[in-house]
Amino acid sequence: MTKLKLSLLFLSVMSLAIFIACSTETETITEVKEVIKEVQVDRVSTLKTIQDRGMLKCGVNDNLTGFGVLTSGGSFEGFDIDYCKAVAAAILGDASKVEYVPLTASARFEALGSGEIDMLVRNTTWTASRDRDLGNDFTATTFYDGQGMMVYADSGYKAIEDMDGATVCVLQGTTTELNLDDRFTSAGLDYTPLTFETNDPLQAAFEEKRCDGWTTDKSGLASKRAEFPASAGGPDSLVVLAETLSKEPLGPLTRDNDSEFYDVVQWVVFGLIQAEESGITSANVSSMASNPKDPGMARLLGVAFGDGTVADFNFGVDPTFIQNAISAVGNYGEIYERHLTPLGLTRSGSLNDLWTNGGLIYAPPFR
Amino acid sequence: MNVFINKLYIWSRSQKNRDLLIQFIFVIFVGLFFYYLASKARLLDMTLSHFSSRAGFGISHTFIIDYTSNDSRWVSYFTGVINTIRVCIVAILFASLLGTIMGVARLSKNILFSTISYLYVEILRNTPLLIQIIFWQIIFLKLPRISEALTFGNTVVISNRGILLPSVTGSNNGNIWIILIIISIILALIVSYIVNKREDVEGKNIKLFNLKINGNLIGILLFFTLTISTYFILQQPYNLDLPSIYQNNKGTFLQSGGFEFTPEFGGILFALVMYTGTFITEIVRGSIQSLSKGQTEAAQALGLSNYQTMTLIVLPQALRSIIPPLTNQYLNLTKNSSLSVVIAYPELFMVSRTIMNNAGHALPVFFLILITYLSLSLAISMFMNIINRRVTRIGT
Repeated sequence: MTKLKLSLLFLSVMSLAIFIACSTETETITEVKEVIKEVQVDRVSTLKTIQDRGMLKCGVNDNLTGFGVLTSGGSFEGFDIDYCKAVAAAILGDASKVEYVPLTASARFEALGSGEIDMLVRNTTWTASRDRDLGNDFTATTFYDGQGMMVYADSGYKAIEDMDGATVCVLQGTTTELNLDDRFTSAGLDYTPLTFETNDPLQAAFEEKRCDGWTTDKSGLASKRAEFPASAGGPDSLVVLAETLSKEPLGPLTRDNDSEFYDVVQWVVFGLIQAEESGITSANVSSMASNPKDPGMARLLGVAFGDGTVADFNFGVDPTFIQNAISAVGNYGEIYERHLTPLGLTRSGSLNDLWTNGGLIYAPPFR
Repeated sequence: MNVFINKLYIWSRSQKNRDLLIQFIFVIFVGLFFYYLASKARLLDMTLSHFSSRAGFGISHTFIIDYTSNDSRWVSYFTGVINTIRVCIVAILFASLLGTIMGVARLSKNILFSTISYLYVEILRNTPLLIQIIFWQIIFLKLPRISEALTFGNTVVISNRGILLPSVTGSNNGNIWIILIIISIILALIVSYIVNKREDVEGKNIKLFNLKINGNLIGILLFFTLTISTYFILQQPYNLDLPSIYQNNKGTFLQSGGFEFTPEFGGILFALVMYTGTFITEIVRGSIQSLSKGQTEAAQALGLSNYQTMTLIVLPQALRSIIPPLTNQYLNLTKNSSLSVVIAYPELFMVSRTIMNNAGHALPVFFLILITYLSLSLAISMFMNIINRRVTRIGT
């Protein structure tokens, strides 16, 4: 009996040893890579999945006025939300077929990577590490943001240079504190940073003038300014300084290796920009479609010009997908006007103006 | 093969053998699990080499270390560690004091005192610490704004940027004077020891103007003569530093001078003191109640006053059962100090979070944080164990 027990023990130890010997470090890496590859093969066509499901799952912010907010009526509204609607209209022909998934900043990339959502439109900055390391693909920039500084209007500050010795409330971020310090130390200015982890205690401190300035992305500042309580002075008591401390291009993301869906999202973004450039709005899109002014407009709207044929770019969706998107949410200018102008984010002269007006909003040609 | 299976079958019929097999399989799975974790961790960069690079961010509260954003991440980390230690030491002192007072008050025959203590414990013990921290921050923010700061005759300035108190600043001679003070303390102790010994052993008294004086008095006199005379010899190395506020040419209010007590430090300090104080109150009350009633009665029979009974008889004996649970509360307080991250007090956890946000490598940084908290806790335990050994000594 003892002999048998011993031999069994020996057998198990041997198998364990063989197992450990086989799974060396490099093999673990290849294993992990294979798992990733398998998962990616599974997910190759998000476009097909959305068409089969009849619903687009869109990861959004539910607490940033102007960009993505859950209204008291229970619906989602904002600049980013309109891009979800535009993509749903383009793929499914119906802007209401969107399932909004509110996400926190820390959970957003996991939600996209795990397939919980199809695309992420949640004021996310395009950076190299997020694009490559985290397995995302940024489609295009819909809004050129940057870190800004908000101060009280009665403080008399006109520029960062005036803020020597000031106390600045800053929200902990990936680079927010670094940009702030770079700007102040390079100008030889003294300052005290008060670094908060979440927005609510920061706002409480700022309302009581514990700090002279509040720094985060300009879109965030505009949004917080728009909803600044009247008891603390209301939006008019605050100004966002003109200077921008960093580059923060925002836009929709899809998963890596998902070209079909990626291309559709990207060209919906471009299509809405081109629509503004060509003067197509949600009001005149149907009359333009029935009687396009030129071949370029006909290609954009997916209709025939004169007696010609319809140009199909093989996006895997209806050739009229841009037309559907425009009739659902309007062109880029209309979306901006609807959500961001009320926040006080002036468009004219900014980076977010059309390239024809000196801005950076530009679409490659539709041909 | 059949023979083998047959033997295995017979072998497995014994309950003992089956148990052995199950345990063995379990051990293998646990081993594999840890092997898996270790193999994953091996793929990560577990070094802290990025801590030598420039930090690049500012810290609002610096103490002892004069940190700037040009220092390395190590310096910023230790600035955070010092902030943690600073708030913990002050909070432990005040929480112990508050807890002892409230614990004694809880047993007082005076209805007012015992009710106050009862309400204090029941309200603050049963609300979350995080809420209390934010509550105290808001209270401090409700102080006057800096443009309307209250000043009390150039000695105290109160605003929600901080309460400024008078302090002293040292010149170059300041450190020399501190060393001279330490030397004079040692001298005074030696002299008073020798004089007392002479008095005890040889019965010789020193008389001054027909007054009999003992060693302690001589020691104290010596200490004061030395420190005061060296203070003037070194041309007054310390000056009173009075706080003030003023506006620069751009209209920014600036504070200068004095000791600054900020709302962030105040918020976390008050919350930790009040919250931990409730548990210490209960410990003190329990320890006093665990003493035999005969002790109090005997003390009163000897004619000791209530105050003497408490300080000479009850508390010294209660201390024996107070110290061990008190150590737990000190450890809890130290660990709870990491919650100050929500109100912008830059303690070690908050500074580490900023470093992790900037540079990644979260796992090794978390190990560093764990080791730091562990060291702090072990230091407190060691200190409290020494005290515990002293108070539990019997017969000396």
